[in-house]
Amino acid sequence: MKSISKSVNKTLNISRYPEIPPGTKLIKKGYVFVMLLIVGRAIEAASKVDQSVKKIFGDLPERFTFYLGVAPGGPYMVIGKDKQGNVKYLGWNLYGRKIDLGLDIKNLESAFKVFTFQESTAQAFAYDRFIVEGNLPQALAVVRVIDIVEIHLLPKVIARLAVKRYPKWSELSPVKKHLNRVRIYLKSFSPGLIKVIYRNL
Amino acid sequence: MFMPDFYDFCSRAKTISGENALEKIPGHLAGLNANRPLIITDKGVEDAGLIDMVRDAMGDELQIGPVYNNIPVDSDYKVVDEIAGIYSRESCDSILAVGGGSVIDTAKGVNIVVSLGGGSLLDYQGAGKVRKRLNPLAILPTTTGTGSEMTLVAVIADPDRHVKMGFVSYFLLPDLAVLDPRLTKTLPPFLTAATAMDALSHACESYYCMEKNPLSDAFALRAIRAISENLLHVVKNPDDTQARLELANASTMAGVAFSNSMVGMVHNIGHTIGAICHVPHGNCMSILMPYGMEYNLHRRAGYIGELLFALGGPETYAQTRKNERPEKVIALVRRLNEDLHDATDGKHPRFLKEIYNPQGEQAIPKSMLSEIARNIMADGARMYNPEELLPDDARMVLEHAWEGTPLDRRKIKKGGKK
Ligand SMILES: [Fe+2]
Repeated sequence: MKSISKSVNKTLNISRYPEIPPGTKLIKKGYVFVMLLIVGRAIEAASKVDQSVKKIFGDLPERFTFYLGVAPGGPYMVIGKDKQGNVKYLGWNLYGRKIDLGLDIKNLESAFKVFTFQESTAQAFAYDRFIVEGNLPQALAVVRVIDIVEIHLLPKVIARLAVKRYPKWSELSPVKKHLNRVRIYLKSFSPGLIKVIYRNL
Repeated sequence: MFMPDFYDFCSRAKTISGENALEKIPGHLAGLNANRPLIITDKGVEDAGLIDMVRDAMGDELQIGPVYNNIPVDSDYKVVDEIAGIYSRESCDSILAVGGGSVIDTAKGVNIVVSLGGGSLLDYQGAGKVRKRLNPLAILPTTTGTGSEMTLVAVIADPDRHVKMGFVSYFLLPDLAVLDPRLTKTLPPFLTAATAMDALSHACESYYCMEKNPLSDAFALRAIRAISENLLHVVKNPDDTQARLELANASTMAGVAFSNSMVGMVHNIGHTIGAICHVPHGNCMSILMPYGMEYNLHRRAGYIGELLFALGGPETYAQTRKNERPEKVIALVRRLNEDLHDATDGKHPRFLKEIYNPQGEQAIPKSMLSEIARNIMADGARMYNPEELLPDDARMVLEHAWEGTPLDRRKIKKGGKK
């Protein structure tokens, strides 16, 4: 189907080429912004609740700060380890921060695909939609964290599209999984969220 | 047939191939306005007489500069900086890299420093620092495997910080790749086997992993056919010039395929073993290749089955039913390993426990497998493997590859969408 629609587009007269109204772009940008905020908060929460996420952050250097965002110009989410090693969602501003690792999705369209889970993170990497500024092993660790968080956060039908492998129930006791999910949700939307938003404005 | 939503592909190194390819180098360098190349090679290559042979072949049309032969097994930036100094002092204007992977990576590093004019390679770390055309570089591969003459990366170590720096830029592609059967003539049969199996793994993995695209597929299939038709023959008859030229071409084609489509878990696990146990890359590749196929079979049976035409020939392909083709491919790779083992008097290892270091000790003790499995998460190839590969999975694969037993298919975790 896709290849057919592509070839049709090619034969279109350029002047009749459907223009994407700016409104759509704004909606997409807003959607990606909100998703980044949710994922960012969920990463912070997961770093306290999920053992593998905790371990991955433990192995990253002290005061490690990274962002995931859309090039050029955002939106972004910034995450960092503080002095005590606690993982914090730091908001959406890059300015004035020492960034160790940057993950940029090349454009808004690709970011929209990733965050509407039409494409797994791995597939997006394969289609060359990411620009990595920094050390590759660290980038891989961060992508793994995002995968785990998506498994926690999303219902199974959607998470199956977002990650390469959705864990079997046998590997993840349902009680524990849902408990973790509830804890991550609660932590993601706790009053701390308002604090972060306030600080970033 | 498969057409990805999006892909990019770039391969722009001029390639010359043939029994007299070396003689053509001066003309090609002249076309690039260069006539005083620095030669970078390693001691093994020089001792085998290859540098003298290259000099003789090119005659006195070039004013060849110094020959630098002190390349360590893992290219490091200090050597790069030292060679860059020699290049400038001796007013060279181009580089001839004669050797295998580490020589080629070193040469690419040197070319960055001498062309962009910095004091040290360290100035060019980080993404996107190399964005200008570099000086002329000709690569003369002496193994039949790495395919580095077609890749846009150079991996160079910083021994003080214990890190490997990756330099990625289209400008790292050489201006000229030279494939001449005389260059691989002195390669011992067991190294021909190991390096060609590395090339085979590049072609196969690029064909069934996640960045597969139609252009890479074409290169991969032709490479697989050349290797399956010629490798065993060359190992038994090292003097067959034409067959050796086929292998050299296969290695280059597989290099194009994997440079554009990347590789998967065979390289992910293989790189990790290499970093921890310092065993030859090609040995790990030949052993792990059938396991990579078995592990990804539930997602990639179709593509793996398609490889049978290139790997087994048209008759085998026609005689094998469609649903049996993937298993046949895996069986053929295993049989090729067995045949190479016999043809090299056991020097070509079939399982991880059969790899020995130069002191004659087992290079990968079974006790190391857990450590290897724990470390697989830091290698980029994991992104491109179709099925997820976590340390527990790697551990399971490693145990089978160590003993030489096929994977227990029930133990492969299958999840997510296809
Ligand atoms: Fe390789």
